[in-house]
Amino acid sequence: MLFSQDINISEALQTNALSMTLMDEKTRYSLRIKPKDLAAFKKASGLKLPAKIGQSIRTSAHSYLCLGPDEWIVITANENRNNLREIFVNMTAKFTYSYVDVSHRNIGFVLSGEQVENAINIGCPLDLSLDTFPIGKVTRTVFENAPIMVLRTGTTEFQLECWRSFAPYICGLFDRFAMDL
Amino acid sequence: MFEVHCPYCNEKRPEIEFAYAGEAHIVRETKADELTDQEWAEFLFYRDNKRGDHHERWWHQHGCNMFFNAVRNTLTDKFVMTYKMGVKRPTKTQIKAAKNGK
Ligand SMILES: [Zn+2]
Repeated sequence: MLFSQDINISEALQTNALSMTLMDEKTRYSLRIKPKDLAAFKKASGLKLPAKIGQSIRTSAHSYLCLGPDEWIVITANENRNNLREIFVNMTAKFTYSYVDVSHRNIGFVLSGEQVENAINIGCPLDLSLDTFPIGKVTRTVFENAPIMVLRTGTTEFQLECWRSFAPYICGLFDRFAMDL
Repeated sequence: MFEVHCPYCNEKRPEIEFAYAGEAHIVRETKADELTDQEWAEFLFYRDNKRGDHHERWWHQHGCNMFFNAVRNTLTDKFVMTYKMGVKRPTKTQIKAAKNGK
């Protein structure tokens, strides 16, 4: 099931100082698992869910993001969707938990360049220095008036996800920032 | 803008990620159908509205999405301490210790 993501990113956002690209369509699952079941769930499913809020684990197949004490997002390529769903269905026999396909709710961007921290900071007051926001850290937060999720994937690279209807608004704000560079 | 310490994220986070959620430690009525209108109204609506150190609930809405409790001074708007749901109401001594910088 391919979706037209239909987002235009301006040319001002294609420089070395700041570049913004739209990620391919992805499969995303939201998981709620009781913390006391986590160890057994990981063993039974083989999924590498990090235990601590703000941690992420990226394997060759999936990204596992821990957003709350009992909440995770798993992001993967669409070709892995059926495999992953099969695992989740099998787990329902053993655990009381929830998995929800939120693939089309979110849209993902890759932001990179030496100005990337400053760019995100125009709408988000988090301290994004490497000491407090190291590579691999992920969190929900806000960007101006839009709820977002940020994941640091490199020294000067972030993955930013938002609900799809917020995407043009967020792109517009980055565009205005880039015009001032 | 100030920062609030979220006891679940275990770090200080910007105020705009949080939402206020009323007075804390209000025990839910288990026999609501046996209460008089006055008693029901008191459970639902009557609050201390304290001037000073106030026990209240906060919600880390744009973060870990958890509710937690806090002691905040309603006069100075300073957070004295925050603690997880299920933790007992801090005593006056504990509040005093928190004010003196833990
Ligand atoms: Zn939190």
